[in-house]
Amino acid sequence: MKPSVLPSDVNLMAATPPSSWQLFLSTFCRNKGAVIGFIVLALMVLVAILAPAIAPHDPYELFTGQEQLPPAFLDGGNAMFWLGTDDAGRDTLSRVMYGARYSLFIGLSATTLAMLVGISLGLSAAFWPKVWGKAVMLVNDILMSYPSLLLAIIIAAILGPSMTNTIITIALVCTPPFIRLTRATAMVELQREYFIASQVMGAGVLRLLFITILPNCMAPLIVQATMIFSSAILEAGAIGFLGFGVQPPDAEWGAMLGTARQYIQSNVWLAIWPGVAIFLAALSINLTGDGLRDALDPKLKQVT
Amino acid sequence: MTEPLINTPITHTSMNGASTKDAPLLLDIENLSVTFGQGVRAFRAVDDVSLKITQGEVIAVVGESGSGKSVTMMALMGLLPPSATVRAQRVVFDNKDMLSMSAKERRGIIGKDISMIFQNAMSCLNPSFTVEMQLGEVLRKHLGLRGAAVQTRILELLELVEMPDAKNRLKVYPHQLSGGMSQRVMIAMAIACEPKLLIADEPTTALDVTVQAQIMDLLSRLQREKQMAMILITHDLGLVAQNSRDVAVMYAGQVVETSTVPEIFQNPAHPYTEALLQAIPELAIGQDRLNSLPGVVPSQYDRPSGCLLSPRCPYKEPACEVPPPILDTPTGKVRCIDSNITSRPSHAATLESQV
Amino acid sequence: MSNKVVLKADNLHKHYPVSQGLGKAKAYVKALNGVSFELEAGKTLAVVGESGCGKSTLARQLTLIEAPTHGELFINDEGTTGYSRKALKELRTEIQMVFQNPYGSLNPRHTIGYQLTEPLDIHTKLSKEEKRDKINEMMRHVGLRPEHAGRYPHMFSGGQRQRIALARAMMLNPKIVVADEPTSALDVSIQAQVLNLFMDLQDEYRTAYVFISHNLSVVRHVADDVMVMYLGQAVEHGPKEAIYNAPKHPYTIALLAAAPTVNGHKNDLTLQGELPSPLNPPSGCALHKRCPYAKQQCSEVEPQLREWDGRLVACLRLEEIYG
Repeated sequence: MKPSVLPSDVNLMAATPPSSWQLFLSTFCRNKGAVIGFIVLALMVLVAILAPAIAPHDPYELFTGQEQLPPAFLDGGNAMFWLGTDDAGRDTLSRVMYGARYSLFIGLSATTLAMLVGISLGLSAAFWPKVWGKAVMLVNDILMSYPSLLLAIIIAAILGPSMTNTIITIALVCTPPFIRLTRATAMVELQREYFIASQVMGAGVLRLLFITILPNCMAPLIVQATMIFSSAILEAGAIGFLGFGVQPPDAEWGAMLGTARQYIQSNVWLAIWPGVAIFLAALSINLTGDGLRDALDPKLKQVT
Repeated sequence: MTEPLINTPITHTSMNGASTKDAPLLLDIENLSVTFGQGVRAFRAVDDVSLKITQGEVIAVVGESGSGKSVTMMALMGLLPPSATVRAQRVVFDNKDMLSMSAKERRGIIGKDISMIFQNAMSCLNPSFTVEMQLGEVLRKHLGLRGAAVQTRILELLELVEMPDAKNRLKVYPHQLSGGMSQRVMIAMAIACEPKLLIADEPTTALDVTVQAQIMDLLSRLQREKQMAMILITHDLGLVAQNSRDVAVMYAGQVVETSTVPEIFQNPAHPYTEALLQAIPELAIGQDRLNSLPGVVPSQYDRPSGCLLSPRCPYKEPACEVPPPILDTPTGKVRCIDSNITSRPSHAATLESQV
Repeated sequence: MSNKVVLKADNLHKHYPVSQGLGKAKAYVKALNGVSFELEAGKTLAVVGESGCGKSTLARQLTLIEAPTHGELFINDEGTTGYSRKALKELRTEIQMVFQNPYGSLNPRHTIGYQLTEPLDIHTKLSKEEKRDKINEMMRHVGLRPEHAGRYPHMFSGGQRQRIALARAMMLNPKIVVADEPTSALDVSIQAQVLNLFMDLQDEYRTAYVFISHNLSVVRHVADDVMVMYLGQAVEHGPKEAIYNAPKHPYTIALLAAAPTVNGHKNDLTLQGELPSPLNPPSGCALHKRCPYAKQQCSEVEPQLREWDGRLVACLRLEEIYG
């Protein structure tokens, strides 16, 4: 059969333009804030993973007689404890380093859980809008109206305060934004011709939702996930601060802040370090998220 | 608003030589170039484009996607994004030098003396404002009309563009209008200040065939009555045949041929023009296959160093590896190594032909 | 040689309910009002009309995306009404679609190799190598190289994407392909390449096409039969040459006259006014408010398609107009 396009034609096709990954990297790296945020975040993750190896002391070890020491660069400080010690004589620096594990783990798990549930519900709500979709959005609105800390108190009261329950609480509270965003993005993509083409192809519901539509919704979802991640860390801190999450002597930043509350007048340093840690974690994630959004959005709108 | 056009002398041969027309020149563009981006990523979307239009004349600019025809007009109107660098040897409108004008002065001309209508009227009208508000804005800004005079003029304009039931359409939002009607509103906005030059960028491509005919009739009538010069940008050669006298054909950012109707259909001088004509189904009645050039318009990343058409051209020769000269033809100019090249036998293997 | 009828539409109607607000009666958008035709293997039926004539709705009915309100559709002699989802899924291998927008009809997040394999994944149990061979062969047919399978749609031009879309539609060797304005968004020279490809594939695979378009010169090139639609109904339906050489329905004449031609002569029949709303179609003949030949009876009686001069026309006044 005579090909309708002669072989010479294929050589005239555009040479490969820069790949999406290269474009993404170059846009991301142009945003200085995002790069700094990413580096700080990466360092935190490293510290969290390597804490047992690099922390100067055991976070639970009590150094009797050395309670409430100020940081090493002030008078009265001790070079052994760079950031000072807490009310029970434990090394603050080590506790902050170990604390990264809790916060990052809680943040990551809660976000992942929220994403899994939220995306599935959002996709299905867009696909079956008449009954199921309305029901999902009703539940969504109820969940969004609930103050997260109240929810944390209730769950802690019923199930007892612990890290797992903190994760459940935060995941519950963080699911609605994912449902909303997925549903909104999916509703737009459902109008597109490639979706109809897949339907005409005979694709089943699962394939349509998770293989055809979902990849096209991912970009805003990834950005949302980083924002939720930072919220989750702040939430975890608040819950720990109120005493409904990880309990002392476990070195969770929020719990450390909670303990420090009594000593604000006398020794403000007990509150500063965990506070700074929470702040840096949230900030670096936000900066990275901003950079992600800028780098992913132009690709979304890519027109040849 | 973009930066004022940069005046950089470029020493290419101009595409339009000495004008043979007696009427005063309304628009004189010489050696216009538009580059997007900087350094390694720089992309020359328009290269060495020259156009001359006299009062009341209609010129068609023909080209496919990627030809740079819209970008040229947007450059003239100052509507390009900041990443675009515009250079030209001369851009003179109505005896005013647009290159040395301040942005403020240019704003006084764009929309008033030079006006533009676009392909998709629906996306060019502001969805949050009614017809009355948008037309009123033009009249208030450029003509300084106030109060009842605005209303009167709006109704006059809507009648001029044959808008059915104009009085009841004043307080209507763009999404409530059909394609044809929103195009009429856009035309009304464009002619509100009686421009000397109207640029119509694919004005009917998005419309149905019967509405297309109505809108083109309307544009022709307005052009004749107001003695407006018009640049008609289109890829539809049928429209060119019926509405204009002069034609410029663009390919990959350059003007490759200028000629007149009907000569361009009978004796196309440039191989691209010839190929364009051969691809029209209307001219291939009874043929089994349509003729077409293999390949696609070169993208940013694979522009040849010589003639931009050479990878696809059936008349290619070694001489095509350098940029071709601009030669005279009986009816205009052509950018090719030989002004009679289409009368040579083509290298049959590279041109798809009928079975 | 008698050709098998692969697609038969019998009096298809499609009405969409539109709510007018709380408490008010439902209104209906009458998108399709009784369309019938038969399509033989290897032939092309062109459906011509402007926006609002119902051609896109017809495309959705034919490709089983929606079920008609009444009327029946037969694909390869199998009726489709009341079919279960599973049965419909099997029928889908017989009828596929190519869309207008080359930038929207391919999934931006999957490689074209994946998108070409998808129909095989869904409907066949071929091995990985067999699937790869099949897609390589199809890519060669449409003028692409096997290494392009790993690329994403945005790396291709509009014309190439339409070729990929056509390849995808042809992967399962369907009996019918519905092409909804496949070249309207393409430049003239690319259009020529894509149309040639359509014709070549039809010759090779004996696929029947329902070719929807508003571009009359393209239609003249590809069609065997032409059906002209206005406001949900066919107003003229017959062999291509009959319709182009001597159109009989005033709307067909106006359409042919309105298209700008390179050869210069324009007919004088311009239709005034615009398409009426399908929510509130005019009484009697849908064209009567715009037709220069309209008389009293045209606003009262709805014309039916009837035989006239070798084709079907829906006009009450044919005898008076043509004598």
